[in-house]
Order: sequence, then structure tokens, then C-alpha cells
Amino acid sequence: MTLLLQGLALGILTGGLYALLSSGLSLYFGVMRVVMVAHPAFLIVAAYLTFTLHTGLGLDPLLTLPITVPVFFVAGVAIQRLLIARLASDTMAMMSVLLTFGLALIIEGLLGTFYTGSYRSISMEYATQSLALGPVRLPYDRIIAFAVAAVTLGVLFAVLRMTRFGQALRATIQHPEAARLIGIKTERVTGYGFGVGLATAAVGGAVLALITPFFPAAHWVWIGKLMAIIVVGGLGSVQGAAVAALMLGVIESLVLVTVDATWATMMFYIFLFLTLVVRPQGFFGGRLAQRF
Amino acid sequence: MRSGSRYGLLALGAALVIAYPWLAPNTYLLYAGVLTVMYAVLATSWNLLGGFTGYVSLGHSAFFGLGAYGTGLLVTKADWPWIPALLVSALVVAVFAGLVGVAAVRVRGASFVIVSIALVSMMNLLVQGWRSLTGGSTGLRVPTPFRELNRGESHLVFFYLFLVLLVLALLTWWVISRSRFGSGLKAIREDEDKAESLGVPTTAFKVVAYGLSALFVALAGGLYALWFRSLDPIFVFSILVGSYMVLMSLLGGVRHLFGPLLGALIVAPAGEYFLVALGESQIHLTATGVLLVLVVMFMPEGIIPAVAKLVRRFRPPEASIREETAEQRSKEAVA
Repeated sequence: MTLLLQGLALGILTGGLYALLSSGLSLYFGVMRVVMVAHPAFLIVAAYLTFTLHTGLGLDPLLTLPITVPVFFVAGVAIQRLLIARLASDTMAMMSVLLTFGLALIIEGLLGTFYTGSYRSISMEYATQSLALGPVRLPYDRIIAFAVAAVTLGVLFAVLRMTRFGQALRATIQHPEAARLIGIKTERVTGYGFGVGLATAAVGGAVLALITPFFPAAHWVWIGKLMAIIVVGGLGSVQGAAVAALMLGVIESLVLVTVDATWATMMFYIFLFLTLVVRPQGFFGGRLAQRF
Repeated sequence: MRSGSRYGLLALGAALVIAYPWLAPNTYLLYAGVLTVMYAVLATSWNLLGGFTGYVSLGHSAFFGLGAYGTGLLVTKADWPWIPALLVSALVVAVFAGLVGVAAVRVRGASFVIVSIALVSMMNLLVQGWRSLTGGSTGLRVPTPFRELNRGESHLVFFYLFLVLLVLALLTWWVISRSRFGSGLKAIREDEDKAESLGVPTTAFKVVAYGLSALFVALAGGLYALWFRSLDPIFVFSILVGSYMVLMSLLGGVRHLFGPLLGALIVAPAGEYFLVALGESQIHLTATGVLLVLVVMFMPEGIIPAVAKLVRRFRPPEASIREETAEQRSKEAVA
């Protein structure tokens, strides 16, 4: 029973992190119907950048964010404007996957060359202790990860709901042509949408570096997990992805404490296939999901 | 190209390929030759699905790995002779692919790609996790069926075995491209909703194409197991092998019989060269990625159409039935 409670608590914390890591993917899909396979690779890039800034300048991993977030925002805008926007629109869905897949390979190769293939990790003193809540022990690093994820998602949500940029972005997601008709510069907004998506990868990568060891090929594991999350949640739905992330995080952690690690990861794929068989548009997704 | 010179070129190419093992100056180049033909088989088989239907699967290495492990396990654990082991495991993989296909082809475009990536990761996990059967991450040793041959002779035998498989895959593609089934698949590629409303049984066609494509990939995987003698789950189930199939096909031209073969002839030797020249560094991944990005950005139709366009510019227009997309046709109609 204690084991299950422990699994449940850890699962919620991990699920919150998953929600942050997959939020960028929902944004890209929303604004451009693009599945950005390179997103997890950028997470790993952010983890390495955080590592370098931490070991080189002695910065706390979370204090590197003011440096990495703007860099990633600009990189996101650049990728959208210079690469993805230039693809032919009729084959966009397939070609953009291949394009971003190519980007992921480029990144993995470069990381492997500069940082070698061995594991890296950042260990902070505060991360090694844990908070005891009755019989349940919660490591502080997981709590920090969850808190950062919650704050970031909260900010993202506030930006989408309350700012003019957020309104323009949501209008572009819902109906690009109508958005253009009322004077929204949809191309520019789409570029910024990509930038915001990649900026979430900067935050996610820093948190990832804090709680888990990483290596250049680590992004493959995340591709599977994050893609499963956004399909189960319904492609393009930020809220759906967040709910699916929490759900799968809890399931993963419960299976982890009761069965083993292989089956815990396998749960993501099992739920992915179940979703396709039962409800291909995802459990929380809207009408646009199925066609893409 | 006039048909006479086309057949001449084909015969010359075939003769060169058949003679290659005798021309190769050393065992390493013979090995690289076997690898190239294997990739040609994989890319051509991939194109049975990708080229006809336009469904891009990044996860065909799942079937490669399953074919390899199926054959390897039947030979080592059940003491089967290699030919039935190869054929049975490939058939089982094809049926399995059909079942997966029923779920996978329900979604289009990006979702399909996600499913295909997930499939490889899933199989990788399964094979690595099932330690008692597969040996887990340490891999599986497969005894060679030709014990009396040395390394060079074994490469020679497998070169021709892969070549036979390549010819079979090419023939299958060619026959399908001329059949009603092939027209149905192409209709799915051009506009799936219209194809369905015209009475093409789209789901059945897609599932069959998926299974057929997996069958050939699994056969290649089985041959690989017998040839390479040791299976590393990280390699056989890597997304990289799957992405090579896509890259080769796209580079050559997915609408053409010899497109994937041409792509394999370029990418596989280049990959081997990078491995030799740059050693164990990971930079070859970057090279592959850059090539993929360049092809997607600047030559999504492949080399063959690009060259054909160049050739056509220098000769009078010919009145033959060309394969073209609906979009091209409508553009021409407007112009």
C-alpha cells in the first residue's frame, strides 16, 4: 500500500514534468500541423547547455534559464521561418516530420562529437534529499521539477489566454484564414508560436538535467514517450496533452513499482495503440486531430 | 530515354552488379557490397508502402529486427534449418505487420509516422527486456549455415542471396505498379478521400501493402542475421536503419522502380566511407541528417525526376503517358 502511494505521488510529480516536456509539441502541431520530432533532441541540447553553464560558470541549473530561454526562442523562430515555412504545403505533414527528424540526427551527431557519448548529470546538494510525508518520500529534485513545470505551464497558459499575442496565436490555431482576414499577421505569429514551443524545451531541458543523467542518444526514449502523450491527449490540444501526461506519468510510476522498468515504458506505447484503435483523434483532441 | 538504350543500360548495370564480388579487391569492399545490396533491398521494400501510398514509415526497422531475431531464434533455439526458419519468420512478421497495420493505417500523415517510430521503440524494449529468450542487450549469436566457407566466401554467397531478394522485391514493385491494386494504392497517395469515394477498398489495400512491405524487410532481416552471425538489438531496432530506408528512397525518387536502389547505391557506401574516415565519432549522424534535410528542402521528388527533367529540357517533347501528380496535371491544365 505504501508502495502504491509512493508510486502515485512520484507519478504525479513525473506527470507534471511530462506535461511541460510535451507542451511544445502541442504548440507546434497547433500552429502548423507539424510533428516536431526534433523537440526531444532540443531538450537534450538544453540539458547539455545547462550542464556547460553550470560546470563552467558555476550557475545554478535554474538560473541558466534567462540565458537559454531567449536563445531557444530565437532558434525556434529561425527554424520555422527558414526551414519549415518553405516546405510545399500539400506534403507538409510528411515532409516536416522528415525535416525535423533530420534536425534531430544533426543535433545528436554534434552532441556526440562535442560532448562524447558518455552520461552526464548535474547533482545539486538540495536534490539529494527528500521530503517525508508520512510513509511517502518525495525527492526534492522531483518536487522542484514539478514546481518549475507548473509555473512554466501557468505562464504559458496565461500568455495564451490573456495577451494579445496569445489571442492572435489561438486565432491562428483555430482558423488561419479567418485570422488573416481580421488582420493578424499569421506567418509572424506562427514563427513566434514555434519560438515559444522551443523555449519550453529550454526549461524542460534544464529540469531534465537536474533530475536524470543524459547522453546524446537519450532523445529517442523521449520521442516515444512524448509522442504517445500527445496522441493520447489528442494532437494539438495543450490541455489534452497535459491531462494525458499526468495520467501516463501515474500509470508509468505505478507499473514501475509493481512490475518493472520495461513494462513501465511499454505502457506509453500500449496506450498509444489503444488510443488509435479506440479513438484515433485522441481522448481530449478536437476534430482536427484525425486527419494529421 | 529510348527503350533500346534503357534496356542496354539496365543490362550493363545488372552485369556490373553481378560481377562486383569478383571485381572487389578485398574482403572489406566485398562486405561493403553486401551491405549496400542489403540496404537496396530494404529501401525497395520500404517503397512498396511509402512509394505507392505515400505513407512514410520511419519504423520499418521493427520488421527488420523481428525478421532477424525470428530467424536467429528458430535456428539457435529450435534447431531449424536456415531456409524454413527464414521463410517462416518472415511470414509471421508479415502477418504481425498486417495486424499492426490495421491500427496504424487508421491515422494519416504525422500520426502514422509517430506510430511507426513507436513500433520500433516498442520492439527494442521487448527484445531487450525478454532476456531469457533473446539474450537482452548482450545480443544473440547465430550460427552460420555455411560452416565450411571462410569469411570472404561467405560474403560472396550472401551477396548473391541478397541480390536474389532485391530482384524479387523489384519484380514485386513492378508487377504491383502495373496492376489494379497498384492503381488503387496510387489513388490513396494522391487523394485518399476521393479514392475511397470511388470505391477503392483503402483500408484493405493499405494493410496488404504494409504487410507485403514488411515481408521483404523481414526476409532481409533474416538474411542479415545469418550473414552477420550476431544480433545487437540496438542496431537492428534502431530508428537510424529505418530512416536510412526513407532517405534512400526519397533521394532516388519514390515514384520510380529503381529510385530506392539508386539512393541505396549512394547513401550506403557514403555511410560506410564516413564510418571508416571519421572512425567511431558520431558525426556520421550529422552527415545523414544534413543529407536528409537537403533532400527534403530541395529535392523531395528525388534524383531520377530531377535528372529526367534536365534531360527532357534538351530533347523534343515526347508523347507518352507519364506518371504525374494530380497537382502537376492541374498546373499544366491551367498553363
